[in-house]
This record gives sequence, C-alpha cells and structure tokens, in this order.
Amino acid sequence: MDTSRREFMKWVSAGGITLSLSRLAMAEPIAFPERATLPGHGKWNPAVGAAGRVDGVAKVTGSKLYASDFRASDLPGWPARTSHALLVRAPDATHVYLGMDLARLSGALRPTVIVTAADLAEINTRVPAFYEGDLFCPVGRTPLYLGQPVALLIFEQFDAYDRARLLLRDGTFVQFGEETGAVEMPNYAAFRFTRVAGATPDAADAYSPILAGWVSPGRVQSTALPVWSSLAQRSDASYKEAAVHGDRIRAEITASEASDLVLNRTFDTQSVDPMFLEPECGLGWYSRQTKALELVLGVQSPYEAAEAVAYLFGEAKAPFKPGNINAQFAYVGGGFGGRDHTPFVLYVALASMFFPDRPVRLAHDRYQQFQGGIKRHAINMKSRISVDRATGKIKAFAADHVLDGGGLANFSPNVATVAATAAIGIYDVPKVDVTTVATHTRGVTAGSMRGYGTLQTMTALEVLIDEVATALPLDPIDLRRRNALKPDGRTMTGNPYAVSVRTTEILDKLETHPIWQQRAVEKASAPNDVLVGTGVACVTKDYGTGGDCSNGRVELSPDGRIAIYCDHVEMGNGIGTALANRVAVHLGGIADEVSVSRVDVFDALELVTSGDSYTMDQKTQDKAEKNPRWVPAISSATSASIGAHVGTHAAAEAARVIFRFGLWPAALALWGVAPRDPRARDWDKVQWADGQLTVPGLPPLPLATLAATVHARNLVSGAMAHGFSRWAWSRARFPIDGEQYSAEIDGLAVRRGAGKFRRINRVSVLFPPTSNNRIGTVYTSMCGTAVRVEIEKATGALRIAKAYSVFECGQALVPEVVLGQAQGGFAMGVSYALLETLPPFEDGPGNGQWNLGQYLVARGSDLPLRDIEIEILPPLTPDEAPKGMAEVVMIPVVPALLNAIHDAIGHRFSALPVTQVMLKGVLA
Amino acid sequence: MTTLSITINGHAHAPTEVRDDLSMNDFLREYLGMTGTKFGCGAAQCLSCAVIVDEPDGTSHTSPTCVVSAASFHGKAIRTVEGHARNGELSPLQKAFIAHFSFQCGYCTAGFLNEGQVLLERLARAPVPRAGLEELIAEALDGHLCRCTGYIKYHEAVRDVILTDATRYLIQEQRG
Repeated sequence: MDTSRREFMKWVSAGGITLSLSRLAMAEPIAFPERATLPGHGKWNPAVGAAGRVDGVAKVTGSKLYASDFRASDLPGWPARTSHALLVRAPDATHVYLGMDLARLSGALRPTVIVTAADLAEINTRVPAFYEGDLFCPVGRTPLYLGQPVALLIFEQFDAYDRARLLLRDGTFVQFGEETGAVEMPNYAAFRFTRVAGATPDAADAYSPILAGWVSPGRVQSTALPVWSSLAQRSDASYKEAAVHGDRIRAEITASEASDLVLNRTFDTQSVDPMFLEPECGLGWYSRQTKALELVLGVQSPYEAAEAVAYLFGEAKAPFKPGNINAQFAYVGGGFGGRDHTPFVLYVALASMFFPDRPVRLAHDRYQQFQGGIKRHAINMKSRISVDRATGKIKAFAADHVLDGGGLANFSPNVATVAATAAIGIYDVPKVDVTTVATHTRGVTAGSMRGYGTLQTMTALEVLIDEVATALPLDPIDLRRRNALKPDGRTMTGNPYAVSVRTTEILDKLETHPIWQQRAVEKASAPNDVLVGTGVACVTKDYGTGGDCSNGRVELSPDGRIAIYCDHVEMGNGIGTALANRVAVHLGGIADEVSVSRVDVFDALELVTSGDSYTMDQKTQDKAEKNPRWVPAISSATSASIGAHVGTHAAAEAARVIFRFGLWPAALALWGVAPRDPRARDWDKVQWADGQLTVPGLPPLPLATLAATVHARNLVSGAMAHGFSRWAWSRARFPIDGEQYSAEIDGLAVRRGAGKFRRINRVSVLFPPTSNNRIGTVYTSMCGTAVRVEIEKATGALRIAKAYSVFECGQALVPEVVLGQAQGGFAMGVSYALLETLPPFEDGPGNGQWNLGQYLVARGSDLPLRDIEIEILPPLTPDEAPKGMAEVVMIPVVPALLNAIHDAIGHRFSALPVTQVMLKGVLA
Repeated sequence: MTTLSITINGHAHAPTEVRDDLSMNDFLREYLGMTGTKFGCGAAQCLSCAVIVDEPDGTSHTSPTCVVSAASFHGKAIRTVEGHARNGELSPLQKAFIAHFSFQCGYCTAGFLNEGQVLLERLARAPVPRAGLEELIAEALDGHLCRCTGYIKYHEAVRDVILTDATRYLIQEQRG
C-alpha cells in the first residue's frame, strides 16, 4: 500500500470532522502471474469460460484480506504494536446493572483503560439516530437488552488481554441488583398495507398504498401493540381510510359462504444468527499529534460506518474529537446482511479514542458474536385467506405480523415493511390487508439478514397455499398457476413490477421435473420403515432498497489494460468478477485490475447531497437537483442481491462512455471513416470477438491498437459515473464532444489521454420521482424449489433425497458465481428450516454462552450434495439487465421442505425449525 | 511457560517462550502474523482454523488450532495455507478451488484446502477404488463449515484433482 498515492474521498461531516475513506490494500501482495488472478484474462467471453475469481489467488494463499487479518505492524506509518480491547456485554436485562467485579484480573492482567457509559457522558459523544439507545448501559439502570455493552476493557499487551478474556468468559463478573423486569420501550414501527383492486383486472385500484400513501396507526399508550381498528381514536384520517378498507376485507373473509374455502392459520419463525464465519473485528489508531483517527473495518456499509463514527465524535470535548477520520475497508468473511449498519464499528472507534497513540484491535470471539451480533427477526404471523372453491382463485388475504426487533431498532422498520409487502408472494390477490409491527424486546438486536422479512412471510404463505391445495383439493402447482400474478399485474402496494415476471415458466419447470412427476411412485415404493414426501414452493423476492447508489470508475491505458474501481463491497458474491465481465461487454477485454470497496476514487465527480432520499418530497428534490453536483444519495450499503444490478451499474456506464467517446472515434480514425460517413453512427452494430472490435465490412481492430489511438488522439480514456435508483435509475444528459449524451447516470467525469478526470456538468436530469417511495418494490426475481424427503419412522431422521431449484436472474454476469450462490442459498434454507434456532431472552445468545456445537448449521452431510439440481433460466433477451438472485434462492427451499414433510407424514408444522425430535414426536 | 520449537511450512522457527494456555491459533496469528489460518468459533466446530500436522512417519492429518495449545505443537511440523504454493506456482488443489469457484467469501478456504490436501496425500499413499471416492471426500470435508457455498464446489474441486490424476489416487480397475 502506497499511502502517498492514495486518493481519498474527503468531505467534512456536520461535526466539523474531515472524513476520508479508502480501500485497504493487501498487506502482502502475492507475486503470482497476473493471469492467475483474473478471470479469463486474454480470453473472450469469460462469463462462459471463466477461469476463476479476481480474488481467487489471494484467497487460496492466505493473503491478508479481511479486517481480522490486519495488525498495526501490517500498516505503513502505524506504530508497530497492537493493543487489544474486550467489549463486555450484559448477560441480563431484567435487573439493575451494578458494575463489574474485576477482582479476578490482578496484577498484569488489569486492563490499562476501562471505558463506560460515564466516560461517554463525560466527553459528550452522540449516538447516531440509527443506533438510538445507550452505547453502554449506565450503572444503576437495567440494560435495554441482553448483550448490551457495559464497558470496553483495553489491554496494552496481547497476553494480558488473552488471559483476561478467558478469566471473564463466564460473564458472572458483570453484577446485577434489584429485579425490575425488562425495560419497556415503544414499538419500532407499525404499518398497514391495504389494497382493494378495481372491479376488473384493467380497472384502477379502489384503494392502495400507491394511491393513498403508507399508513401507520396512532399510538395508544396503554397497549403494547397497536390498535388496528378503524374505530381507534388516535388515528389520523389517512390511517382510518386504510383501516376501513382493511376491516371490510376481514369482515368479508369472516362472512364467507360455503362456496369459499377459508383458512385461519398461525405461523412462527425463529431467531437465527447470520453465522458469517469471520466474527466482527476492527482496528483503530488515534494520533494525538495529528488528531487523525485511522480505522480498519470490514462492513457491508462503509460510507455509513464512517459517517456514524464522525457523528459519534462530532460534538465531543477535546481531546476526544478527532480532526479527521480515515477509514479503510477490508474484505468481509461473510455478511448476509449482518454487517450492514452494525454498531460494532462505533466501539472500535471508542476503543481507539480512549487509548490514544496506541493502535487498538477490537475483535469478537464467537461467543461475543452470538451475544452481540445482528440477528434475523422472529416473526409471529396470523394469516387468513379465502379462496373460491370452484375456480381456485384467491379472493382475499389478511394477515397480522408481529416482529421481535430485539434491543435496538436497527433495520426493524424496513424488515417489517418488506415482510408485509411480500406476504402475498407470487400471487394476484384483489383484496389484501396486512398489518405489521416491529416490537422492542430485551432480546439481541435483530436487523438485516439475507431475505429479510420475506423469508418468514413467504414461508408462511407457501405452507398455507399448500394447505389450500390439499383442502380444495387441487394440484399444488395448478393452484399456484391459477393465481400467479401476471407480468402487468399489481403488487400489494398497487404498482406493477418493472422487470420480467416469469412465474408461470418456473411453475412449468417444477411441474415437469422428475421430482414432481415421480412423487406418487416414490411414495408408494418407500421401504416400510421410511416415509417419503415431495413438496414444492415458488416465491418472488425484491432486490434493491429504493435508495441504491452505484459509483464506478474505469480506466484504459495506452496498451489496452483496463482498471475498474467500484464502491460496493466484496462479500464473497463475486462482484469484482462481475464488474470485469460487465465492463468487458463494452471494452472487449477483461480488466487487469478490479478494485472494490472504493469510495475514495470519485473525488472528481464532486458530488453533494442533502436530505433523506427515502422521505424527501418532490419539491425539495426539484429544487436540489438544480445544482448539477447534487444527487439524492452518494453511496449505499452492499448486499449480495444487488451486486449485479446496482454494484456493477456505474462501472458499466463508465465503460460505455469510454467506448462511445474513446474507442469508437479511435476506430473510425483507424478505418479512415469520416465523421459524416453514415457508418460513423454504427457504434451499436459492433461486436467484440477475441479481443478485437469487429464491424461488417471493416477490418477487425485489436483493443491495444485502439487504446493506443485513444491516447495518441487525446480521446476519452477514462470515465467515472454515479447512478441512483429509487426503483428506477436516474437519467441525465451530458455534453460530450458536441453531443448530448444521455445515460442512466446522474454524475459523470471523464479523462482524456493521460489527463486528469474532469467533471462534466449534466444539462438535464430526471431523478426517479419521490412518489416512488410508496412502492414496495418494482425489482423482483422468481425462484421455485421441489424437494423429496425421506423420514425414518422410528427416529424421525430426515434425509433430503432429491432437490431442484429453478430461478431467473436476467443476464447472469458470472454464471459460476450465480450457481454457487444458489447452492449456498439452498444450504442456508435447509439449515433454517431444519436446524438453526436461538431461544429468545435469557436462554438465548444474549447470555454470552452460545457457540457452534450448541447452534447447529448445515454441514455437507445434511445436504444431498450429489442430488441438488440448479437451473438458471436464460435471459429473456440477450440484453436483459442482471437481476438480483442471492436472496430469492434461499426462500422457497424452506416451505418446499415443510410441504414435503407434510406429504410424507401428514402433519403440518406451523413453527420453525422442524427438528428430528419434533418429527419423532409426531411419528410416535 | 513452554519453549516452543516448531517447523512451519518447512521453515524451523527459533524457540519461542509461550504461555501454556496460549492457543496455537493465537500463536500463528498474533505472534507470527500468519493470519491465513483463520479464527471462526474457538470451539473446534467450524475448522476454519485447521492446519496440517506432518508426522515423522510420513503421514499427515489436520488439527484445529483454536482449542489446542501452542505448547502441544512443540517439536512438530505443520503446514498452513501460506505454504501450499511453491515458487509462485499454486498447488493443483489451489488451482482447482479457483477453477471451480469453490469459495465465495473465502474465510473457510484455508481449512478446506488443508483438509483436501491431506486427503490427496493419503490417497497417494493408499489409493482407493473409484466407487468409494464420493463417500471418502464427503467424510473428509464434513467437519468444515462453509456458510456461503453449500459445499458442492469444494467437493467438485477435490474430486476433479483426484480424477485428473487417477492413476495416482485411485486403484486402477482390472480389465476383463
């Protein structure tokens, strides 16, 4: 890492602290041939014949990549020695916290520094709104939640730290007094989503969230949960209108006649841990001399992490207010959402500030990760459905969801809304009414995790649909087909999807698959001691957040080498490889350097932002966009499911600019085609083949030749772009070389020849309207799963005999990575359905005593490794955009398994996980 | 305290005084800076921390390092993920992991690599029939947790290396 050459993205936070972010380079670059580190270098179409990942060599040789790999001695300019911090958490949340008894740490084992709530109050830190709640439980108060931190212990030497953490392992040194019961706090969010379709499919909706806005009930102080009735006194008019429609839908379901099938069912899902393999870790160093706080972090949301730390110290007293913060971001050892907006980074920063001039490392062990890491929400779901017996058509659906949000709000409001709006899955339901509330409890904080909310509600739905099919009776796939939402149909919020909807195609695939076709034969031929069952499920999953940003920068050297920079984080989803492949479509060659987690290389765009893109009104946006540098948001968090769609977008657009204003005019010059020749506008007729640009009737041109010409003629040789998506990409026009170039970006800078990047002011911009914030989602992908299980009657042991998942994802940028994510999603689905569970509260992970072994995660032997078939549907058109798939592939696995279990044993489970003990109990 | 002498990836390390309760994982990561060996659970359940132990009789096996003391490795020779490539050339299994896209986040890769390598060397010493190969791979790798991939591509990579050099790893079936 050459610090002198780094270009930091810098800005000044509200607290007056200069922030700069950069990617952490490998501390030990591996001297392997470049060709071994890049996918298909020198070959065309690497997405088909890929030879590996861009990070492949680093990962098989043990290079320092992850935040947990770095110590101070690895970082140029840092002091050599690393000190270590221990984050002490409360294993109790119903008694008053009295303090710590550290008598067992004597002599050299005593911590050098102890940081508590009193210290934070003394220096005047602020808690970012997203993490609202005490960072440390003050003495004399009951902890807000199990696992709430109470102190940081900082040890100068590793050995003292190491021995202390062993001595403190049991947590009994954290002392408690009077019993108070759990701390009561308001719910994090409550919403009601109600839609009443028009009289015919073509008619406008009578009522929908798109038409009327999202509504929330008023708060009644005397009740723990919201009062949803339209008669509630504290609700405003907009809520009452939704509630009147919703109450009517429920009344109609209740009053259904015999010609309708009505089912009322409850389904409960459990809390689980993301169980990413690298426990959270960070390294920090505050220099009193330079007032610089250096951080090394591994998170999914680098931009947010840096801003949160800046806010934390924005009003702090000297000498606890850094002058500038330089955050460097490493690869993450798994994320699955659990590293998106994690409060852990705040504690890394605090440890550094309270032990200045010494680099301090804060690392969870696995017990601590279970105790303090973000969890998946447990959800209680009560669902009601009415179905016309004659047609098998769903007439109405109503549901009430209660989410256990745990100790801090985190993403609970988002999870609640995503869960609710996904509650009707793939179906076209004319009357829907779903209430949802995310509650505060004393459990460990729940937040983002793969498929959040939708995994739970679509599991409940797909199990319910299976029961409807049994009750009607109707073939389960036929029932799904009759009710599948058509491509132009409206979702629960009242808007159609903006992307392909291929549900019927997926249902056809499931129906004709041998697993489904042979289900009766397999059941009939089962051995006497085994029960065999087959199940299916089909789901759709949104991708994107309605506020997604993409930053991409591409450079072409005179010898045709390509470098790509991107702000999204590599979580293992292969975004670096996807970037290389997507840029290659425009530039004809695989990148020689791909650099991710880069928020430091886009200075030339000079972007500014203001307000909250999710809540701002149209007038505010219209006014703000007059500044050609303004965008609704600059950078956003990474999730695996938006890697292809969002993460690669800006780099692809930057590459397109280089082609149009660099390679293409260079080609014309080499061919001797005059600017006024009609062929000069044939840029969309080109093809790249074997690294050469080809146009019918003209000689092929190698990339290197073109690149040399680009530089010789001072044409566009580099571009950086910013894009913003609020369920549609921003679009703007930029004056380039006498042309008004229009693209789905809102910020652009270009480099000519070997010159510097210079911003191009957009001359018009169309940001997606703020009314799009009423949309649930317009981006969605579908996936279906069929499984056959075999269950031993005597033991309840379940074996998955065969499995098949089929899904669509538009253009798969790296098919091998897509396949791997689908296989991983299958494993995580099996694990969630059959193995993983965390009890709430005192017996759960907040007590600090949980680890693997007690917490079961699917191993190879739990999966039919040789009998899992994954099918990726080809894109509808060659240019269909990539669609997010990393989350949807996990979801149908869970209800398909439950439906297969019912088919095998005739019992429907209504809670997860379904363990061997439970199966044995039912079979006894 | 124990004086620890150990050979890692063929290099003999100078005797080092270590606490008796220092884990081998922390010796590698904190004392030597060899962070290719990962820490996952501290309970020998995920085996992302596994290294290869080479016995004097020429056999090898893997060992977790998170729950095993550094002192217990005194006098032993081990191999870690950093030692598989030679002279800038990746081992066949490393190449296969890359070619098969076996890993995603890569945090478990060192453990799978070591386990797979031990299996390859075991088969080189004592080849097995093709018929038993799948079960053997499954048994060998089953202790290792991966949260990203679903394991299939790790198994495929190990199988591929074996089948590519079948005369070395498998008992050749007699014709006729």
